[in-house]
Amino acid sequence: MAGKPYRLGTGNGNLIDRSKPLGFTFDGKQMSGFAGDTLASAVMANGHKVFGRSFKYHRPRGVIGLGSEEMNALVGVGEGACHEPNLRATQVELHDGLVAVSQNRWPNLDFDVGIVNNALSRFFPSGFYYKTFKWPQRFWKDVYEPFIRRAAGLGKAPTGPDPARYEQIHVHCDVLVVGAGVAGLAAASAATASGLRVILADENPRFGGLADISGGTIDGKPQRDWVAARCGELAAAGNVHILARTTVAGHYHHNYVMLFERLGDHDPAAVVEDAPRHRLWKVRAGQVILASGAIERPIAFANNDRPGIMLASAVRGMVERYGVAPGLMGVVFACNDDAYQTALRLKAAGVGVARVVDIRANPEGPLAAEARAAGIDVTPASAIAAIIDTHGGKSIEAVKIAPYSPGRGRVVNESRIDCDFIAVSGGWNPAVHLWCHNGGKLKFDEGLQAFRPDRHTDQMRIAGAANGTFDLAGCLDEGYNAGEAAARDVKGKAGRKMKRAKAEQAAQGEGQSIWFSPATGKYNEGNKHFLDFQNDVTAADVELAQREGYESVEHTKRYTTLGMATDQGKTSNINGLGIISDASGKPIPAVGTTTFRPPYTPISFGSIAGTHARHLFLPVRRTAIHDWHAAHGGDFEPVGQWHRPYCYRSASEDRHDAVNREILIVREAVGLLDASTLGKIEIKGPDAAAFLDRIYTNTFSTLKVGRARYGLMMNELGFLMDDGVTVRLAEDHFLMHTTSGGADRVGAWLEEWLQTEWFDYKVFVTPVTEQWSQFAIAGPKARDVLEKLGCSFGFSKEEFPFMSMQEGTVGDYPVRAYRISFSGELSFELATPANFGLGLWEALLAAGEEFGMKAYGTEALHVLRAEKGFIVIGDETDGTVTPFDVGMGGLVSKKKKDFIGKRSLEQSFLKAPGRKQLVGLLTDDPKFVLPDGAHAVADLKPKPPMKTIGHVTSTYWSPTLKRSIAMAMIENGQALLGQTLSFPLESGVVRAKVVEPVFYDKAGERQNV
Amino acid sequence: MSEPQFSSALAGVKPRNGLAITISEVSDIGMIDVRGDAKDKTFRTAFAKVTGCDLPAMPRTSVAGGDTHVLWLSVDQWLVLVPRKRVKDVVSALRSALRETHSLAIDLSDARTIIRLEGESVREILMKGAPVDLTLAEYGVGSVRRLRLGDVAALVHIHALAPDTIDLYVFRSYARFAWDWLEATAGEAARVRLFTGQPAPPTV
Repeated sequence: MAGKPYRLGTGNGNLIDRSKPLGFTFDGKQMSGFAGDTLASAVMANGHKVFGRSFKYHRPRGVIGLGSEEMNALVGVGEGACHEPNLRATQVELHDGLVAVSQNRWPNLDFDVGIVNNALSRFFPSGFYYKTFKWPQRFWKDVYEPFIRRAAGLGKAPTGPDPARYEQIHVHCDVLVVGAGVAGLAAASAATASGLRVILADENPRFGGLADISGGTIDGKPQRDWVAARCGELAAAGNVHILARTTVAGHYHHNYVMLFERLGDHDPAAVVEDAPRHRLWKVRAGQVILASGAIERPIAFANNDRPGIMLASAVRGMVERYGVAPGLMGVVFACNDDAYQTALRLKAAGVGVARVVDIRANPEGPLAAEARAAGIDVTPASAIAAIIDTHGGKSIEAVKIAPYSPGRGRVVNESRIDCDFIAVSGGWNPAVHLWCHNGGKLKFDEGLQAFRPDRHTDQMRIAGAANGTFDLAGCLDEGYNAGEAAARDVKGKAGRKMKRAKAEQAAQGEGQSIWFSPATGKYNEGNKHFLDFQNDVTAADVELAQREGYESVEHTKRYTTLGMATDQGKTSNINGLGIISDASGKPIPAVGTTTFRPPYTPISFGSIAGTHARHLFLPVRRTAIHDWHAAHGGDFEPVGQWHRPYCYRSASEDRHDAVNREILIVREAVGLLDASTLGKIEIKGPDAAAFLDRIYTNTFSTLKVGRARYGLMMNELGFLMDDGVTVRLAEDHFLMHTTSGGADRVGAWLEEWLQTEWFDYKVFVTPVTEQWSQFAIAGPKARDVLEKLGCSFGFSKEEFPFMSMQEGTVGDYPVRAYRISFSGELSFELATPANFGLGLWEALLAAGEEFGMKAYGTEALHVLRAEKGFIVIGDETDGTVTPFDVGMGGLVSKKKKDFIGKRSLEQSFLKAPGRKQLVGLLTDDPKFVLPDGAHAVADLKPKPPMKTIGHVTSTYWSPTLKRSIAMAMIENGQALLGQTLSFPLESGVVRAKVVEPVFYDKAGERQNV
Repeated sequence: MSEPQFSSALAGVKPRNGLAITISEVSDIGMIDVRGDAKDKTFRTAFAKVTGCDLPAMPRTSVAGGDTHVLWLSVDQWLVLVPRKRVKDVVSALRSALRETHSLAIDLSDARTIIRLEGESVREILMKGAPVDLTLAEYGVGSVRRLRLGDVAALVHIHALAPDTIDLYVFRSYARFAWDWLEATAGEAARVRLFTGQPAPPTV
């Protein structure tokens, strides 16, 4: 790297390892840097200043900050599906082979077509969108929106599904310390010494905050030595968890805190296949100590966004940490003593410092004196009035400075200073974002000219620069105090008192605020004073908003987009408020602040999804037969969380063929269905029968032991919510079957009634769905299969009548057997403990082979039941359907005193004529299958609107009847039997005759054999 | 009559390489779900006589005796663990002893799948899926906790410490999903050890 003017000699660049060069590309250009570099420092070391184009005006932009406050140098990192946009170059750690691209430029960074927006900027005032795109209305869809879509947004999305893994973890701790600078380390040390469980998190890869660039000593040694010693102690302690590269992104109710840990971004080679890239920590902290530091603010002077203009702390950090100078000759623009440290550091590194321009009339602090003594030229009571740029604004060659005093207007006399970079310090803002996420209050500090923390209702403390305390001794002391106070709160008594380290640091004189640095020439002619760099919001925009009546700061924010970009106004907030204050004449505290919202810096979507991706996106429930289904052509469909085979397809079949084949097997031979998902609940107790009488519309107390009965369940509103067959196992013991999807809901429903309303009932309810594999053997040859396999109980019509149960064995397997039928065929359902399920299933198929037995899926099940006119809860019902509506009024007891929904059925509108009723439909064209949900109309018209009188609820091709069949809910349907209805579809009008909903074996002879 | 074919939910499933803990299915433990009134002395006495264990009265606890464990599930529900081959007899004995008492004992041996987790970072792995602080001292040997793990209802029963041996119970239909979730979060490269000392972080 020798010979490159931007990488300084040894003695600078404390964090880089010059023995480890790394290669990377930026916008396709091969560059090199060192281990320890950030992308920002490495690119700058290569003599490159422009990192991207701005959002609205497409002005060239460079690095401004040192860490997470960076708002300009947003880059895309990685390629293809691994590309991630909008990363701050100052936080991207360099690794070998890193691929980064600039953003928001076309066709390239050097020549960008969008810069025309800058020339036209007088036509893009604040509220431009609201003012312009209102009319004509028809332009919105075809002209404005596509244009805005193309122009808006910063980076590009990745091109494919993210191959990386992500995960989350839930952790509780006594104390969470946010930020591992001097204050945070002191706090963590104190809390740890008292034996508390401490989590210490910092967003940077290295702990210590700004200890290396803020001067002074602790216990007589450089700050960084103290930092290293504390970090060593804390890491070794067994009651601390330290998290580097971990941003505390959000603070929520009751100290619930979200931490975003980056494990693999700094070194993709370290992320082996099963390692997570990011981990989201969901921490419940007893106490939170914020030591989040402070953010330096820029100054609004003309064209303050030119590449080469950086925050003073960032310039100092670049030199100290990475040995990179932003240029050869700098100007420091200061309004406080801290910025003089930058001038001194530059000087020590051999970088030219043309001038310190200080707005204060008498900068006389020790640092200012030291600077003067070092031969640095200081011009007090002055401000930068103009930038002389070159190369189309991509770099600067000089500044113009002018005399400055607060309240003074336009500049009259200027002088020129040649320079190629500027270090700016407009003061420091405490990083209070996390303090405010969950309602912490702020107060304006006149001395700091910034907001600092006030009250908080959570167990949260704040220490150091985040609290507006900037001297080293104060930071240490507040850190220790916060840690000790947290220990006292956790333990209920004082913990260990820490021995205070002794800090020495040069005193700093008082700073002065400046919200606007006057410029020469006319405003809005390219002399832009930027406040929010990321959203291109200028001082003039904010002033215009004030003139146009956007008095509330929240309105100004939304009108101008000030503070609305991904940096959430980290550097722009106070400067914007200062401008509003100046323009409105209100003091800053009266202007107020906008709301601070999580996340502190953007977090990845992957971390939010965590493990909920790919095969773990949603839980999948598998029956004991699942793998057999999959191995035998099972074509699965989701039923709740279950995956059930819709049908079993051979290689030559499509779904339709397979379903038709399966139906005919059941009708003509025998089929086998995996019905294990059916809900099963055991109900036992002296009041079990009375309980069921209240749950169901029909009566169960009269059911004989060993017999089964179909029941309808309503909710309190009188609407059907579930149905199924319940078996009486003993006088006080029942087994209820529910729908597959309703099993959990009905179980909870029964418990709720028992626990909250009928708590005097002695009834236990235990869901047993998961215990059993349950299969339906359906078809005229069902008995042949049982006989072949061997059965411990008799299964003739007399021995095992319809709607009864038996317990015993089938083959080698213990079973509960039920003679119930949902297909209309002779049918037995066998339940065996789930671990025997696969064995029984295979035994049944082997025994049934000679009778043509095959497995059938859920679609065949549905067609078979529709041929018989059996309803399905959720198909024929939609939460507004009563038993009477589906023609099952006969199952609503007239004798029982009370049951759930009984009273609601008496409501006039549920008894009124005109309700939709269940009917069957036969299309005039038997080959045509109506679409599900097709509407019947009262009067057919050439085009909508037409009054609809009902809709199709189930519709199938019936291979048994060799024609289409459908069920529908039609107004007064039962009165329309025999009539023909019209269903206007997109493909034309279909006509269908209204019939009874039972299409096949109306007398029920097939199942009663 | 020959023996029926027994196939547990994770039969034949082997853990992938590179896991930080050992995971395996336990299929020889039988489970009996018992409901009753803990305040009813007849119930308590009969229960203890059959199982050899007192009812655990405190939430999140269990009682062990011989080859039997009794886990607290809720105020009126317990899970009795016995060797699978004894389940039938214990259920009959319970039903017979509790005949006169309002109660319900059901063999639910196949309703849940038990996955045994062994290793140093078991608790951290569970905490990746459940908002529960399993590092608390109260989660010692014998403690029981129902939780929601990675979207699935689950229960953990702590058998031994240092290294942890923890049985994870999930409903049978979720066994494969839970197994897959464990394989995804229990990788060596994803290991988290909380509050146990770490290498010092780099500093500025």
